[in-house]
Amino acid sequence: MRRFLDRLYDGAGALAAFCVFLIFVLMILAGVGRQMNWHVSGLNDVVAWLCAAAAFFAMAHAFRHGDFVRVTLLLDAVGPRVRRVLDVMCLLIASVAVAYLTYAATSFTWESYEFAEMATGLVVIPIWIPQSTFVIGCWLLLIAMVDELVGVVRGEKPSYQRAIEERHAAGDFSSDV
Amino acid sequence: MIETLLMGALLLGIMLLLLAGGVWIAMTLAIVGWVGQAFFTNTLPAKNLFSSFWESNASWELAALPLFIWMGEILFRTKLSEEMFEGLRPWLNRVPGRLMHTTIIGCGVFGSVSGSSAATCATIAKVALPELKRRGYDEKLAIGSLATAGTLGILIPPSITMVVYAVAADASIIRIFLAGFLPGFLLMLLFSGYIAWWSIRNPDKVPPADPPTTFGEKIRLSGNLIPCALLIVFIIWVLVAGWATATECAAFGVLGSLAIAAWGRSLSWQNFKDALMGATRTSCMIMFILAGAAFLTKTMAFTGIPRELAEWVDSMHLSPYALIGALVVVYLILGTALDGISMIVLTSAVVLPMIQKAGFDLIWFGIFIVLLVEIAEVTPPVGFNLFVLQNMTGKDSNVIAKAAIPFFFCLVVCIALITVFPSIVTSLPDLFMGSEK
Repeated sequence: MRRFLDRLYDGAGALAAFCVFLIFVLMILAGVGRQMNWHVSGLNDVVAWLCAAAAFFAMAHAFRHGDFVRVTLLLDAVGPRVRRVLDVMCLLIASVAVAYLTYAATSFTWESYEFAEMATGLVVIPIWIPQSTFVIGCWLLLIAMVDELVGVVRGEKPSYQRAIEERHAAGDFSSDV
Repeated sequence: MIETLLMGALLLGIMLLLLAGGVWIAMTLAIVGWVGQAFFTNTLPAKNLFSSFWESNASWELAALPLFIWMGEILFRTKLSEEMFEGLRPWLNRVPGRLMHTTIIGCGVFGSVSGSSAATCATIAKVALPELKRRGYDEKLAIGSLATAGTLGILIPPSITMVVYAVAADASIIRIFLAGFLPGFLLMLLFSGYIAWWSIRNPDKVPPADPPTTFGEKIRLSGNLIPCALLIVFIIWVLVAGWATATECAAFGVLGSLAIAAWGRSLSWQNFKDALMGATRTSCMIMFILAGAAFLTKTMAFTGIPRELAEWVDSMHLSPYALIGALVVVYLILGTALDGISMIVLTSAVVLPMIQKAGFDLIWFGIFIVLLVEIAEVTPPVGFNLFVLQNMTGKDSNVIAKAAIPFFFCLVVCIALITVFPSIVTSLPDLFMGSEK
């Protein structure tokens, strides 16, 4: 189970990275294409959807990896036991918030599907197709949140904290803006 | 009016409580936005939540963000830091302060290809710090200058922080990039000027010059920097000539960085994968915050808090300088606890209407806020460049912050200069893109 979940998050993260790579390729095409007078304006719509997909697919992976920023002033100041209580509370609040986001994403994408709503740009496809990346990303993040919550309640060190400590110990600051 | 401001104060209270407790910033923004809509307006929060998240992420302009981050990630994994030090070294022998200036110029050059201040600081410090120490340069000065000059990464375009601001303020990315060049140079001059002044005052603390080199040798030593210089020239040319959009410019930047990495033989599959995954995660984090902020901005628009606040500030008839002074204080306080991106996104919904009402240019304000973010990066207890150097030197972050104090004042002087002479910021974009209506 543990291995399956980890692979799920990382797999979605890799998919998101592939979306970023596709954005790169398409933007190069658009830049060259404009000089050659190709019709490339439709690419912008696709790039926008890829951008959304990259963000949504990567959420669970980025969360587990400790990339989501938070204020750690208080967390670092208190002892390990208080820190755990705070972590559990944060995870509870965040899980409820993400559950609500997942509900919103799922129900309104379903609405787009039911009413067969079309994209308004140059590329006319049913809008639920790109929107489904939002739904999938949210469900993955929700699973990751609850997964983390269960782990911390059981007394494990949160994976986001472990990942940051490992990264900084290795001297890698490329992910910090 | 009083009710609106009270509601604003309540929402602010909830936000501070959640933030202090350690709830992730993106989620805090969305939660506060939800509370505002659910209790104080008649709109449907779920529908608005969905559309803000979708519309803010499915944006073609925002696609520049992962690409600019990726570009920095690729270069971070090359040998550019060694090449930078070796390439700059022969030229600086006669300047007062000598090799100490490699920190400033190195950060400035790396900042022109990277959009992140922590990555700039880490890349340049990796080689410059041990080399300077080995040659007997003053360590405190080197640490202070590296901590602060690293922040040039977000002032000299491309800059991740500027992309975020441009998206939050709905301003042109290219315009604000162009606006960053002159303040960037000004800041480098201020930093280098301080180093020169310090070195003249403390001649005993500056080690002797390296043996002189001939012009040919100098060129040979700097040869490895040529690809990097070409990339910088290319990016500037693309921006100035208006040949490509910001997103396309970012894509070509990635291509150029991949070429540099390949040329220096540091482009392995592992490096490529790490850089791409890192960029994906970082941009996911930023886009999540932007989406949460977009939802909060909607709440703000429904409740009318920013408008009331802007009118309230307007009714006090503050002089523009007093308003800017007050904002400096607010951002300095915020900067002690928040990272730069969150600081910008968190405040833009409330502060931007105020600024526009007071008659300030949004592009100018963008540079102003980037300079304040730079200060935030070197102020304890939470300053990212302090963490980077703490990790590299093993010194306490307060010691590093103390070493950075003189350079901190250079930043303050720079803010004062652009406030008194706004044309330092606006002249370049006006020159190349025509003045804004």
